[in-house]
Amino acid sequence: MTEHLLRLDGVGVRFGGLKAVDGVSLAVRPGERRAIIGPNGAGKTTLFNAITGVVRATSGRVTVEGRDVTRAAPHRRAAFGIGRTFQITNLFPTLTVHQNMEIALRGLSGRKFSFFGSAVLSDEEHAAAERALGLTRLSGRSRALVRELSYGEQRQLEMAMALATAPRLLLLDEPAAGLSPAERVIVADVIRSLPATITIVLIEHDMDLVLSLVDWVTCLSNGRFLAEGAPGEIRQNRDVQDVYLGRARPHA
Amino acid sequence: MDRRSFLKATALTAAGTFPMPGLVRAQGAPIRIGLLAPLTGVVAAGGREIVDGFSLFWDERGRQVGGSKVELIVEDDASNPDTALQKARRLVEQSKVDMLFGNLLANTGLAVANYVKTNGTPYFIPVIAADDLTQRARIRNVIRAGGYSASQFSRPLADWALKQGYRKVAMIAQDYAFGHEQCGGFAQTFTEGGGKVVGQFWHPLNTSDFSPYLGQVGSLGADVVFAMETGADSTRLLQQYASFGLKEQLPLLGAQNATDQSVIRTMGPECEGVITAAHFAEGADLPATQAFVKTYSGKFGKIPSLYAFSHYVGAMWVAKAIEAIGGKVEDRPLFLDTVLKTDLPDSPLGKPVHFDAYGNPVYDVFIRKVVKNKDGKYWNVPIATYPQVSQFWHYDPETFMKQPPYSRDFQGIKKA
Amino acid sequence: MTAPLASTLPPLERNLPRGRTLGWLAALAVALVGLPLVLPGYQVSIAAQILIFSVLAMSIDVLAGFAGRTPLCHGAIFGASTYVVIYWTTTLGGSLWAGALLGILAATALAALFALLAIRTSGVYFLLLTLALGMIVWGVCLRWTSVTGGENGLRGAGRPAFLADHVSFYYAVLAVVAPVTFAIWRFVHSPFGMTLRGIRDSESRMRALGYNVPLHLFLAFTISGAFAGVAGALYAVFNDFVSPSTVQLSQSVAGLLMAITGGIGTLLGAFVGAACIILLENVVSLFTARWPTVLGLAFILIMIFAPEGIVGRARLALARRR
Repeated sequence: MTEHLLRLDGVGVRFGGLKAVDGVSLAVRPGERRAIIGPNGAGKTTLFNAITGVVRATSGRVTVEGRDVTRAAPHRRAAFGIGRTFQITNLFPTLTVHQNMEIALRGLSGRKFSFFGSAVLSDEEHAAAERALGLTRLSGRSRALVRELSYGEQRQLEMAMALATAPRLLLLDEPAAGLSPAERVIVADVIRSLPATITIVLIEHDMDLVLSLVDWVTCLSNGRFLAEGAPGEIRQNRDVQDVYLGRARPHA
Repeated sequence: MDRRSFLKATALTAAGTFPMPGLVRAQGAPIRIGLLAPLTGVVAAGGREIVDGFSLFWDERGRQVGGSKVELIVEDDASNPDTALQKARRLVEQSKVDMLFGNLLANTGLAVANYVKTNGTPYFIPVIAADDLTQRARIRNVIRAGGYSASQFSRPLADWALKQGYRKVAMIAQDYAFGHEQCGGFAQTFTEGGGKVVGQFWHPLNTSDFSPYLGQVGSLGADVVFAMETGADSTRLLQQYASFGLKEQLPLLGAQNATDQSVIRTMGPECEGVITAAHFAEGADLPATQAFVKTYSGKFGKIPSLYAFSHYVGAMWVAKAIEAIGGKVEDRPLFLDTVLKTDLPDSPLGKPVHFDAYGNPVYDVFIRKVVKNKDGKYWNVPIATYPQVSQFWHYDPETFMKQPPYSRDFQGIKKA
Repeated sequence: MTAPLASTLPPLERNLPRGRTLGWLAALAVALVGLPLVLPGYQVSIAAQILIFSVLAMSIDVLAGFAGRTPLCHGAIFGASTYVVIYWTTTLGGSLWAGALLGILAATALAALFALLAIRTSGVYFLLLTLALGMIVWGVCLRWTSVTGGENGLRGAGRPAFLADHVSFYYAVLAVVAPVTFAIWRFVHSPFGMTLRGIRDSESRMRALGYNVPLHLFLAFTISGAFAGVAGALYAVFNDFVSPSTVQLSQSVAGLLMAITGGIGTLLGAFVGAACIILLENVVSLFTARWPTVLGLAFILIMIFAPEGIVGRARLALARRR
């Protein structure tokens, strides 16, 4: 069991009568790059939310490094080493890049409860911030206000913030959504350059991007597991082609 | 006197003078009077009449007294004690008034009284009735010129009720200090004279539906009802008392404010016959009273209310004292002593009045009944008179003040 | 956006170089200390009142401007402290110092209680819930006559002799308000204060980063209540009287209006807002009994022409010039 960094066993999420995620099981090895694909409404983001705790799985089990986190609050899961980005840019727009990093860095440190202390980063924190900004190609943009960044830079900052606290599991929700081809290349480079100690699960629509980045692909459809395999196999898979072409067959 | 004690004495004198701006009034300068009245907020209508009654007096005198011009500065207390306090500070410290007058709601008056306690500014309160201001918590420079203490008139009313043969009273009252005090005066006198309080109903201010109380009143076996109401509560109670059919079964007595002109001038026969006690009866067949009612009605188109007449009388009273000292209001001890020694024989009250040793007037109290006058308007006419009623009734002041102030929990009721 | 009044201002630290900020602060300090030398006594007492209400407005700004939660109960928290101070010093005959401490503690405890109930809501629900909580305090003060004196309130025992005149009282208030202001300033610029701004901008991001959002809001609410309690205790000495009107809704609204007029999220704008509203009230009421209307109109004009508040507006103009 413990050889898997992330393990889902029959995870389901129900909103009233709607089963957004229905009995999904998967297992991700440490250091693996995994993509989750599927058409709109396949339940990808809901699955992410069930892993990070934004919604709670109504059935099944979520395990991270052998620890059952199914019922843990989101901030507890962050403390267990889960970091994430958001599909729709979710930053602190009225603050500077530096301040965004400051908040990100202290999410897991006791200094967040310093009521009257100075907000200035310690050398160690400063180095961590610079490292994350460097990894995401944002060095030198510290003093910019987030709402003045280009959209591409905002997507990069999304990743920088998730990386700030050195998570062991990083969930990237459509990191390249809405980007120009040139910006996509940057994002792909950033992801490729992340250290192998970080396990990455990403949701992405751009198949070319996905295939160049990951080792293994899981395809969901209508909230259910559809297929799994290496990128090349998935590309050839008839079921996957069908759902992407909009000819989903009823599942038995 | 060595240098040190001289300095000390100088410092003390300076400290003593500092909060007494009255002392710096130049000879021949006008006498400044600050009038605090609620011109906005819940009791704004009463506040307007305070200004009317008070200004009427000074206008009639050509705004002159004791050889000095009188300058009136009116401030709105907004029916709010914090605002009243702020305005009182401004009148005393910025406008440098020689004295303050006014306020309508007890809490505004208590706030201002607490403030003038620290600086000695004379403060006259023709409407503020909180008992303790001239009893247990007496402040020398706070004088009820033209005013009364809350329990003062309900005692003769209770005595009158006993004389009519009533023995069992049910009481309905607004649940706040003014109500507790008026009811306390009645309940104590009534029970000490052999009567019994069969029920007391305290309701919140601004009660719209009295039926829960009126329903019970009928079943208590009372032979008389006492109501302590003000403003719109009073209007509603009188109306509902009549529509419940209680008016024909159970005689209704009230605190003076229950049938004040501010309440009954807009009412119909439902207020007729209600009995109250007060130092003033607009329907009294007394020349001074009728002259005042005629002037006031001619000018403002309505019969004067408690707010108007008591401020008129208060102004008259203090003006007489100012005349007596030749306008030297800056000599505060003299001014205050003179006010307390001044008798007023010829005011609209119609009967001579004077102060007791505590700054509260001693009045001839009328037992009044609401009747329709020849113009078809309802007003209060005297049906009996209790001469020389002080705030202490027949009690010895010192002994009386040993009992706790009236409250919801202490009504002075004598156990049979 | 969860916060109706969330600030859209650039952060202060980007606009003013440190040296210049210090220069301004020094000038301000000189002005505040020198004030009683040039003003007549009554105006000095108004200045003291402005300082006191600035602290109330700042305590509101901590929540409204930094945590993105606009409260309508801080007048009640402020007034609860006033009640405790006056009750302690008169009815119980205790010392002013202990009374002030107890007042601040009571305000803090009350705020903690309110926080437990209110922090899971945001936006207009937070506004209404805190309004209702404030009304409960008002109701209790009105009805619990044996302790609060009901409608008539409680009268104080008078200021201690060394605070009796306006000038010494003003300096005493200044001596409290200056360090308290510094403390609040440090607070909103501390790592914890930064977490509040994060919560204001995005709660979901904060949770994903490991922040226990309700806990941070709870602490922020409680601490802001303590600051309101300081203001309330000062007000007890200033007013020497307390009644339900001190805890009523209009007190909470006045504090919020001061924060808004100065500029939500600017913190020090609270001083400008408090000065504007208290001075306007004093000056306008000299000329007309309709001063609440004038005040309302002035507020509408500010909302239309400078929704960022006066200090917020000035800061924007300064940023643009650079």
